[in-house]
Amino acid sequence: MDARQGPGETPDLSREPPSSPELTSVARPGGFPERAILHLDLDAFYSSVEQRDNPRLRGKPVIVGGDPDRRGVVATASYEARRFGIRSGLPAVTARRLCPQAVFIAPRFGVYRAVSETVMEVLQRLSPTLERIAYDEAFVDVSDRVRAWLDADSLGKSVKRDIHGAVGLTASIGIAANKITAKVASDHQKPNGLTIVASGEEARFLAPLTVRKLWGIGPRAEARLATEGIERAEQLAAASAEWIVARFGHQGLEWQALARGVDSRPVASGEKRRQISREETFAEDLNDIDSLCAALKRMSDGVISDMRTYPPARTLTVKIRYANFTTITRQISPGTVMTAQSVPDHARHVFMDHWDGRPVRLLGVALSNFVEDAPGQLKLF
Amino acid sequence: MKISASQEDFSRGLRVAGRAVAARSPLPITTNVLLSTDDGRLKIAATNLDIAISTWIDATVAEEGAITLPSKLLSEFVDTLPNAPIDLSVKQGSQSAHVSSGRYEANIRGMAADDFPIIPTATEQPAATIQASLLKEMIEQVVFATAVDDTRPILTGVLSTFSGTELTLAAADGFRLAMRKGELAEASSGDFSVIVPSRTLAELARVVPDGDAIVEITVTPNRNQVVFRTTDLHVVSRLIEGAYPNLKQIIPTKFSTKVVVSTGDLLKATKIASFFSRDNSNAITLEIQPGGEAGVGNVVISGAAAELGEDRGEIDAVVNGGSAKVQFNSRYVSDVLGAVQSSQVGLEISGPNSAAVFKPIDSVDYTHVIMPMHTGAR
Repeated sequence: MDARQGPGETPDLSREPPSSPELTSVARPGGFPERAILHLDLDAFYSSVEQRDNPRLRGKPVIVGGDPDRRGVVATASYEARRFGIRSGLPAVTARRLCPQAVFIAPRFGVYRAVSETVMEVLQRLSPTLERIAYDEAFVDVSDRVRAWLDADSLGKSVKRDIHGAVGLTASIGIAANKITAKVASDHQKPNGLTIVASGEEARFLAPLTVRKLWGIGPRAEARLATEGIERAEQLAAASAEWIVARFGHQGLEWQALARGVDSRPVASGEKRRQISREETFAEDLNDIDSLCAALKRMSDGVISDMRTYPPARTLTVKIRYANFTTITRQISPGTVMTAQSVPDHARHVFMDHWDGRPVRLLGVALSNFVEDAPGQLKLF
Repeated sequence: MKISASQEDFSRGLRVAGRAVAARSPLPITTNVLLSTDDGRLKIAATNLDIAISTWIDATVAEEGAITLPSKLLSEFVDTLPNAPIDLSVKQGSQSAHVSSGRYEANIRGMAADDFPIIPTATEQPAATIQASLLKEMIEQVVFATAVDDTRPILTGVLSTFSGTELTLAAADGFRLAMRKGELAEASSGDFSVIVPSRTLAELARVVPDGDAIVEITVTPNRNQVVFRTTDLHVVSRLIEGAYPNLKQIIPTKFSTKVVVSTGDLLKATKIASFFSRDNSNAITLEIQPGGEAGVGNVVISGAAAELGEDRGEIDAVVNGGSAKVQFNSRYVSDVLGAVQSSQVGLEISGPNSAAVFKPIDSVDYTHVIMPMHTGAR
């Protein structure tokens, strides 16, 4: 924490995310020889956005959701409000009783959606294999980037930094060899946490948790397990298959797999891929043509390197943000698909046609409008 | 400085060293070549700071000395001169050279030799030696498979593993992998691996002499540079640091269908299909049909793009195992077929989404792995 920041003062959200002392792994260093899955969960998403946009709300219990006078429910409660026992799904009127001083705010879904889009774009830079579960939550398959524990550590930290830089919010991240473990890990040290569970450490990590913490075990399954005295993951993990099947049927074995941290489900990028993009905010505003063209080339190269695993794209977009923050995006759809040869040319032409000569703060190049059903190159490693 | 050399030698020397000249550089002197007298020969050297090439040509040295001259201008001038001795002289303290041959002469302004970047040399014993023509062949069989972009810098290099009497070069870009083994002339002093930038090896293959010449390979003690050396050539390059992916895990050891076909036939069919697949991500389809009792099956190679049309080419094949259908990037297939150097090639397939292995049938030294393309219906 910044030494100048006393208690009660609001955190300055334009700064780096405060590093919490718990930013460490609970498992011993080890690797990810096969898969590495990152799960990201934005911390108290809706209420954090409201606190970000309205400094007067910072440090106060904020409840985003329905009107307490009209039988609304809580969508998100800020961490300050959670101290009063307020949780998502609670009737707003109950929330008001628990915490009369809470500030109730009607949700601004348009804003949340836009913030979510930006966050997903940051995540998509890691890998196109992204599964968005909610506005504030997604899995990314980062197997290509993460082999060693240290890879996971530096990736997790850089994602948190990038997201804070892009939207001014903190997120909690779990990185593990499969989805169930990554999901539980991201919840492990909220808010602003980073929890890494190396391959092979899943069962040990999950063991002390209550079964309800396992993603996939809901209140009813929890109740059924409780009738047989199973409350913690390790109990479920240790039971014999016969015992489980006799009491809970085959579904019980699925629960047990969760408790053992066994999960082979792939990250399902069900959503259509929207774009491949690169952008760069310059340390100093640029207005000399050579530096700008060099930056454009860098971004084109980045886009080209991602192109091979995507279907062919028909549209190229150049984004220019001037020093005064006015931003323009201009695109070209030349009628043929983009190739590694044509991307730099198109990018340069679009830029030269639309740049008005003023200093540029940010440049971006993106490909979109993919030819769906086109063949794509599979990765060897 | 005062020397005389044949137009042919001078031109060749400038061409060889010229491969390392910087095209454009914040350090203007690196667009020059360094000319210096060296033990009765003329040394021509150039560097773009990533790679340095020095070559020595026969010359009559009348007066020792050194200068740097603009590479492009000097080469153009020398290349165009008639095939006759060329005289080059630099007055003491001058930064301009007088170059003449027969009835042509020129004054070319350069920069002082002392300002030229120092090119590292290897004083240690070479770590290994190998026949130049073999090294060249090995490089040409793998270097095209390196990554072209810098997203994973390690993959822009060629993993060069020295083990006993064997050198293995391996290159991969994440979608394909090429690996070639070759016999060293002398066993290496200890087993080690280095990652050499592909550009260095591509240039080395271009400038290394053909034939029986021996190339000495030396890695500097701090492990960040490599020197390839023959009697009249030094190529020095930085090495790429980092850990290369484990190739053993990547190369498939099992397959369900093995096909042997004529390399030329498959190359032609691939080329034709590639015309049709150009607008379809270069995806060509190989359909393998086992033969009947005679054992002669076939492979149908086809390309298609919705707006253009489609083609179909059929070639004979010896097929072991079941029928199979797989899609590849046509460029990857033509690259490997251009590299295998045998009249027949074996192709081992284990499914439409599994890595396929290409091998020449008359050698176990070359292995090439290509990952297929998915069909798009996902």
